[in-house]
Formats: sequence, C-alpha cells, structure tokens
Amino acid sequence: MMNCKDIENSLPLYLDNLLSDKDKRAIDEHLKSCPKCAKALANLKRTDAITRGLSEVEPPSWFKQKIMARVREETDKKSFAQKWFYPLRIKIPIQVFATIFIVMLAVYIYRAGNEQFTEVLPPQAPTQVLETGKDKLSEQTIKLPEADKIVVKKKVSAKDTRDEKVFMYDVSPGSGAPKTQERRKTSSQEDITAAAGNIAPPVQRERAADRKDASYSALMAKQAEPAKAMPPPGVELERKKEGYVLGASMKQSRAPEAQSVMPKTTISVRVGDLNIAVGEIEKLLNKYEAKKIVKQMLEGKAILSAELKVKNIKDFIVQLKTIGRVEEKGMPADSAEGDIPVVIEIIGR
Amino acid sequence: MLGMSNIIDNKKLTTKDEDLKYVVLCQKGDTEAFDVLVERHQKKMLNIAYRMMGDYDEACDVTQEAFLSAYKSIKKFKSEAIFSTWLYRIVVNYSKNRLKQLRNKAQREGVSIDDVGEIKIEGALCQSSANETNPGAQMEQREREAQVQKCITSLDEEYREVLVLRDIQGLSYEEIKDILKIPDGTVKSRLSRARNALKDCLVKVIGDL
Repeated sequence: MMNCKDIENSLPLYLDNLLSDKDKRAIDEHLKSCPKCAKALANLKRTDAITRGLSEVEPPSWFKQKIMARVREETDKKSFAQKWFYPLRIKIPIQVFATIFIVMLAVYIYRAGNEQFTEVLPPQAPTQVLETGKDKLSEQTIKLPEADKIVVKKKVSAKDTRDEKVFMYDVSPGSGAPKTQERRKTSSQEDITAAAGNIAPPVQRERAADRKDASYSALMAKQAEPAKAMPPPGVELERKKEGYVLGASMKQSRAPEAQSVMPKTTISVRVGDLNIAVGEIEKLLNKYEAKKIVKQMLEGKAILSAELKVKNIKDFIVQLKTIGRVEEKGMPADSAEGDIPVVIEIIGR
Repeated sequence: MLGMSNIIDNKKLTTKDEDLKYVVLCQKGDTEAFDVLVERHQKKMLNIAYRMMGDYDEACDVTQEAFLSAYKSIKKFKSEAIFSTWLYRIVVNYSKNRLKQLRNKAQREGVSIDDVGEIKIEGALCQSSANETNPGAQMEQREREAQVQKCITSLDEEYREVLVLRDIQGLSYEEIKDILKIPDGTVKSRLSRARNALKDCLVKVIGDL
C-alpha cells in the first residue's frame, strides 16, 4: 500500500505513462480518495503545461555569421599549423636529416680548423734556422698581374735564409729588436714579417717611425718614397711582395706563402772618410751593374741599398775590402742566380 | 498512434542522414558544410543553453563556444552516433562548465548569481516575445516566464538538465540517456524529482496553479 509521499514521487512518471499497470491502478485508486494527491497531480499537470509553453528564444541575427567567422579563422590557423608542423611523417625525417647535416658540418669545420692550426705552427726554432740558413734557395717566381692585386707564387726551400736575416735585424736595429722577437713567438711567418719590415711594408713602416734608431727609420722612409716614381721590378717589387706576405701573415695565412721571401744581404763597411767612401762604393755599384741604388746619408754613417747580381757579389765585397773593414751578413749561396738586394751600411770613424 | 510514431521516426532518420552528409563533408575539410549544421541546430542549442543558464548573453557565448568546439573535434565524430545528440551533449557540458565558472566568480565577488540572472532573463524574454500584440498580456507572460525560469535555475544542475531536455526541448528518454550518458532509470528518477521540485517552486512563487 503506497502512502501520499510515494504517490507524489510516482506522479511525474504516471503522467508519462511510464508506470506498470499495477502501480498505475494503485495510484488511480489512491487519487479517488486523496484530494491532496489529486491536487498535486493537477499542479504537476499545470507545471508541465507551463514548461512546455515556455517561449523559445531566437538566436541573434549575427549569430551564425559569427560562429562561421570563428570556424573559418580556426580553419586558417589549422591549415597554417598543418603546413609547418604536420604531418609528422614528413617533419620528423626532415629534422633528423637536418640534425645529421649540422653535426657533420660541425665536425668538418672542426677538423679543417685543426689542419690550419698545424700549418701555422713554427716549423723550427730561430737558432736552428741560423745553422741551416745557408741552404740554397731553389727557385723564386714572382707574379704581379695588377697594381692593386698582388699574387705571389714561389717555391722556396723549407729552411729559408730569410730567417737568418731576421736574426740579423734582431741584433742590429737596436730597439726594434724586442718588437720583432715578441712577434716571432707566434709563428715562422712572423719572422718573415720582421725581415719584410726592413724593406718597409706599410705596417712595418709605422713601427719603424717609433724606433730610436734614426738610420733604420730613415731607410724605411727613403725606400717608401720612390714607390711611385720607380718602375715595378727590383726592390719595389720585393717590397710589395714582402708587404703582401706581411699582410698575409697578419691574417694567419698559410706557411708556404710566408716562405716566399727573398733573402737579403747586409754589408757593413767601416771607413775613414765617410763621404769619399760613399762615392767610391757608388762607383763600385755602378761598375758591378747594380740596379736601383738608393742612398741615405745620416750622421756618422750612410746607407746604400741596391740590387746586385749574385755572381758579382763576391767581387764586389773584395773591392769593398780595399775601402774599409767589411762585415757581411746573409750572403747568398754560391749557386744562386739573379739579382739580390744588398744593404751597405757605411760607418765613418 | 502507431502511424504517427513511424512518421516521427522517419523524420529523425532523414535528419540524421542529412546531418551525417554535412558532417562527412566537414570531416573532409569543407568548412561551408558546417554552415548548414549551424543553421539547423543553432536555435535548439541556444535554447538549451539559455534554459540551463538563465542568461541570454551567456547562452549565446556558450553556444558559440560549443559550435566551435564541435567543429574542432568533428573528425572524432563517429557516423554510428547521432550528430544532434553529440552536439547537445557538448552544449550541455559547456553550459555546466560556464555555470561553475560564474558560481566561483560570484562567490569571490560576493554577488548572488540569481540576482544577475533575473535581470538578464527579463531582457531575453523581451526579445523572445516582442511580437506579442497586447502589452498587458505581454507583460504578464514575461513576468510568468521569468518566474518559471528562476525556478528552473534554482534546481540542481542534474535535475535541471533532465527537465530542460525532456519537458522544454521535448527530447526522448533515449536521447536524454545518450546525451547525458546516464542509465535510463536515472533519467526517470531525476526527471520525477525535477518535476516535483519545479512544481513546488512554482506553487511557492506564483501561488495555486
């Protein structure tokens, strides 16, 4: 037997005909005798009518357009993302290959860097160079195709006499020596630049200006001036070439390029009368077909630079010995051919 | 009776097939096919959201979000299901989530959510019954509907959703079971309690019905 509470709970289902026949009959019986439950049923029917009769709200006029605008926006965003990040079956292999390529490139660059590093290392100590510096100069070929672009091609024996000259300048130019020695620490190319500085490449000329040794700096200036007036070969050519080597060495160029520096002979002559001796030596130079004679008169001494044929140089020195006491440094090998730059330092008493 | 039932079933089947046709087009990337689906379901979606929320503007926002979400996940829709059921589930869930957010916000700000809802209900009802000719009857109808909506909004969400889907939107028990993913018996018991609760609320608010 159901009470009013049970009946009231079952009334909504009773309205929808969802109760079993037995329950439905029991409720029908109860409703006849219970005005409270009958009223509840009436209210329930009314509530149902009210809810079903609720008016529907209309969507705003812009509603669909706004939804579709957002949908299209979403499609564009999605297609952009798909373009760049999907499908993964394409994206992942590309990433893998890119990574492998970058790693290989890094390894290659690292190894190439190592090779370059070993190339610029100094092949030997300066003292060793002195001992072996007399080795012959095999061949030198210089090409100057354009005024502003200098290409130097040379074959020089590994143990070059230019190192010897560096050593000479380490001693002779006084205060200039420490700078040269500092630079030598880095590589053999630096040795070459010191020697090249003797023939005044631009950088070296600047350095020379600071030096206390007046003769040295004067020589630099003297040799820098005729650059425009003089024809390309000879000392000028040598200067350009060595200037190039200096530049190249400063940019850490390779060792073979640095080895292509011409050897140079320095002769110092101690004489009684400076002026007479200079005149005589100039005559001697002319006699031995010297080219590009440059004279620099200084206080107490004079410096002559010229290019002499190697075959004449021995005779020239013999003649010099008649004028004064001679000291020679950086003598070329006997078998060497061609012209060689010579610097004659005439010191008066 | 039986003939009527067959006609309704056939109509539903046709709608389902037509929905499915456009859903398949959407799944193939045809954005414009979604336009048809929006057109077809927007009113029902909005009314479900509105009766759940009791706020017209919020209902509009929620319905838009629900449509957008449906579009985003349309590829997940399986052809065995009914698109409208799937869509109504989304809007019900979005409405419930939005209500939760609003409740939390109201708690933080110390404002009653019902107070805010009441004003907006009236605004929405103005819009819905604007074509009424008699201003007095219109006013009375508006007031009555506001009271009914207030009672609906006062119901627990689990009762409210069943009542909205069954008594206001007229969906079948089977559809409600699918939308809410609850057993048939639960739908019936919840609906029974929801109706009684609404009746009690209306008696209390309006007086003898």
